[in-house]
Amino acid sequence: MRILVSWLRELVTLPVGSGSPDSPVTIAALADTLTMRGFEVGAVEPWPAGPANPAGQPGNSEPPDAVLDLEITTNRPDCLSVLGIAREVGTIYGTDLRMPALWPDDDDQRDPIAVTIEDADLCPRYVGALVDVEVGPSPRWLAARLEAADVRPINNVVDVTNYVMLELGHPLHAFDLDRLAGPEIRVRRARAGETIRTLDGAQRRLEPEMLVIADAERAQAVAGVMGGADSEVSGTTRTIVLEAAYFNPISVRRTGKRIGLSTDASYRFERGADVEAPVRAIARARQLLATIGAGQPRGPAVDRYPTPPAPIVVRLRHHRIGHLLGLTIDAAFVAPTLTRLGFDPQLEPATDPPVWRVTVPTFRVDVSREEDLIEEVARHHGYDRLPTTFPALTQPAPPPGPWRARDHLVRQLLTGCGFSEAITYGFIERAPALAIHPDAQDIVALRNPLSEKGAVLRPSLLPGLVDSLIHNRRRERQDIRLFEVGSQFRHGDGETPALALVMTGDAVARHWSGPERKTDLFDLTGVIARLCEGFGGVATFEPDTAGHLVPGRTASVRLRVADQTTVLGTVGQLDPGFAHTRGLTGSDAVYVAELDLRPLTTDRFDHLQATPVPRYPSITRDLSVEIDDALPAVRVRDTIRAAAGPALVSINEIDRYQGPGIAAGAVSLSMRLTFRAPDRTLTDTEVQAATDDVVRALARAHRAKLR
Amino acid sequence: MTAPTDIDAIRAAFQADLGAVATEADLQTVRDRYLGRKQGAVAALMKSMASAPTADRPALGKAANELKREIDQALATRRQTLEASARPAGGVDVTLPGRETPFGRRHPLTLIREQVESIFGAMGFETLQGPQVEDDYHNFEALNMPPDHPARDMQDTFYLDRPMPGAGGTPSTHPATLLRTHTSGMQIRYMETHQPPVRIIAPGVVYRRDTPDLTHSPMFVQVEGLLVGEGITMADLKGTLVAFLQAFFDADTRVMFRPSFFPYTEPSAEVFISCVFCDGTGCPVCKKTGWLEILGCGMVHPAVFEAVGYDPERYTGWAFGLGIDRVALLKHRVEDIRLFYDNDLRLLEQFPH
Ligand SMILES: [Zn+2]
Repeated sequence: MRILVSWLRELVTLPVGSGSPDSPVTIAALADTLTMRGFEVGAVEPWPAGPANPAGQPGNSEPPDAVLDLEITTNRPDCLSVLGIAREVGTIYGTDLRMPALWPDDDDQRDPIAVTIEDADLCPRYVGALVDVEVGPSPRWLAARLEAADVRPINNVVDVTNYVMLELGHPLHAFDLDRLAGPEIRVRRARAGETIRTLDGAQRRLEPEMLVIADAERAQAVAGVMGGADSEVSGTTRTIVLEAAYFNPISVRRTGKRIGLSTDASYRFERGADVEAPVRAIARARQLLATIGAGQPRGPAVDRYPTPPAPIVVRLRHHRIGHLLGLTIDAAFVAPTLTRLGFDPQLEPATDPPVWRVTVPTFRVDVSREEDLIEEVARHHGYDRLPTTFPALTQPAPPPGPWRARDHLVRQLLTGCGFSEAITYGFIERAPALAIHPDAQDIVALRNPLSEKGAVLRPSLLPGLVDSLIHNRRRERQDIRLFEVGSQFRHGDGETPALALVMTGDAVARHWSGPERKTDLFDLTGVIARLCEGFGGVATFEPDTAGHLVPGRTASVRLRVADQTTVLGTVGQLDPGFAHTRGLTGSDAVYVAELDLRPLTTDRFDHLQATPVPRYPSITRDLSVEIDDALPAVRVRDTIRAAAGPALVSINEIDRYQGPGIAAGAVSLSMRLTFRAPDRTLTDTEVQAATDDVVRALARAHRAKLR
Repeated sequence: MTAPTDIDAIRAAFQADLGAVATEADLQTVRDRYLGRKQGAVAALMKSMASAPTADRPALGKAANELKREIDQALATRRQTLEASARPAGGVDVTLPGRETPFGRRHPLTLIREQVESIFGAMGFETLQGPQVEDDYHNFEALNMPPDHPARDMQDTFYLDRPMPGAGGTPSTHPATLLRTHTSGMQIRYMETHQPPVRIIAPGVVYRRDTPDLTHSPMFVQVEGLLVGEGITMADLKGTLVAFLQAFFDADTRVMFRPSFFPYTEPSAEVFISCVFCDGTGCPVCKKTGWLEILGCGMVHPAVFEAVGYDPERYTGWAFGLGIDRVALLKHRVEDIRLFYDNDLRLLEQFPH
């Protein structure tokens, strides 16, 4: 809202000027004060004094002029006007408001126009009045004031309606009477199939829940939103019907949204107009038209207001102000402040501390409770004068939620493994979502995405993370390790916490002491094993398949904690086709994993009981067997564990060899078995017996040959 | 130096000499001095026995042999110690770069969020997480924004094409239909299930249908705070936020409260801090005002209390909302909010582990 200081000065005495003793407050200071009262002045634009002065040429004492560009919050439609801001300024400086001149109505005459409200739920009040006009350009000062407010002058009639809207805040509309089907206004819902050509030239189809202003035959305006082109005021207009009404805010808002129009009028109506303003707005417009010689009012204004509501009265208890603010504000400040703002505070008899019954003016659509009044008092008293205190802690904080320790530990473990944390968008493209999670029914789509790039909620963190990897890859970064902790979304499971990892480039960087080594799948499975170990569990991997992963290089991840095994997710080499589609160039393999975070908990650490450290030495045995190379190592392990007895504490695969000396289709697998007993030193005989059992079991189960 | 001839004197002298041994050569010298076949002290001792009375000879001989064994053993132990402590010959170029042990970084938005959590944690606030996919009731209606409320325009919303069951897996009578525009829904969820006093913060990502630019991202991270109890005042809100902002930015940070409007607080305020770029003297970032808008806050609207069944006569409270991205931009002087979501390692790796 752009407001000319000289216009403001017409409605309220401003102690504002050059900063001289007579006018001590500068415009910049006024702007700061308004800002501190809740009306942010975004800019103060110097404006030439004179052109916008109705008296003509500026005198020597003309104070400097300026345009204040004010940000008006949605709760204060009353301040979308010079009058509203004047009222705030009057409250700030303790000066009185001056209402602009109004056309004196003669109630004795017959209604010059018939006004019928058919749908009073959407239009509780409608005022119509006639003015015989001579359409032409506006006087310079009036046009200049509109221009200062960024409103384009059109002709004197339209300009006056805009002028009154800016001055008093209430939108007006003017119809060309001769282009209506007679002197009759009907306020009704649109008929099924009814259309209207609006002032912007668009032909619009109306719907039955929309309110229109019609003549005897058809809709001539979309109520509160925009007038119709057919009854537009033109150079040949002789008589206008001036309209000022109160329209239901929700109805205006819905209609505006439905037909895709937002106008200065609808902006005000949907925030809430002043139901008492229409009569005054009409009288002001008629006065102005007469003053500038643009027209002569004909007959009285017709005011249809079937059921005026009772005024809103709110009790304000003085002690409650201090209770809410933490500062006692003098009662002698409270009542005068509210009065200047247009409220009517009446002290309840015999109340100490005082209690007021405050009548809320109709233009203050934002005030209906005691707290609203307290805000008015606090606002004008100044937030800067509130003390700073500290709320007493009356009970201890509850323990932190388990997810905090979990997420913290995940971050700690993975950053320790060289992975940096990424945060990617919750919405992604549909194609990569489907590539990774092919169940289309399970994908959660957005109704109003910003673009196709964010069409669906991510069913997996992987697509976004792969995109981040590619982003880095395109910026000369070869070795990349990223992870993300976040929500994924599916219709079936809802919103669940997940973890994804991506890895590419060198696992060991090239160094003067030796060559680099490319990342392979076992770098990533190793990280996952470490993650699981960090949570007190053991990771196991089983061959698996997934559409977006390379066959034969894909595993499902299981977490074993105590005796519980849960499926945690999938790890594998990303299908190069998928990576290429996302924009990855080069031939480096990308390894990815996605894991469910829910099975990972730190609960067990809360009651962790340490087992005694081993007191007896361990004995190791190395074992090399030749087995079918398609046999997963995990099966060999299972067999060894089952056969070795309780003294076996660990199995390490220490070598894997194929080549001369090994049959085609076979592989030599060397393992180091470690044995230990908790209560004694094992003998060689015991360990040898266990090893022999292992060898026999391997031969039986896998036809393994000892080498 | 002549070798002593008395057994005890030899032992004492040997111990002193052994203690002074630093090198293999020293050790050899000591060995020669005591066990040398011709000149050694022990050999001399043996020879001197010839002049001893015959009756004493066996005892003397035994003692001399014991001494010899003792010296021999001590020399062997000393040799082992010397060998184990031997320093390698030749050096390396210590200025060559060491082998890298890769380590990753937490995301800067995580770092900021954890800082905020820890400052409020020390003030007794519990950290909560809520669902990102919300229902209209918790995101708007219970926060005093009924359908068709113009304030809904302030937070342009992403909607799902069809509802998702039970937000965040929690049972809910309200189908989840939108991406939360703020974390304030968590206020409602918490108050629905807990009685005052309430002292919580709820960090998390939120979504608004804004076209991305330098300062806007359709997804960003916010933290919401809520404190409810008996006798809680706006002065408490001011005190707590000033304490937080000074802990987070700088003890000298000045804080300004200005009236504003949010449907779920009354009175409402916008909070500004003295510009971190120009120290309040005015610069392009603060548009020459010296102040930077940092968060929104206010006293919880009684309609919100009524929605969750709290008695607004008995309880008062306050809430605030802080953009983590915004404070990250300001604190670390990142010029473009979108950089946080590119996950460019050249940015991420500037932040501490
Ligand atoms: Zn600055």
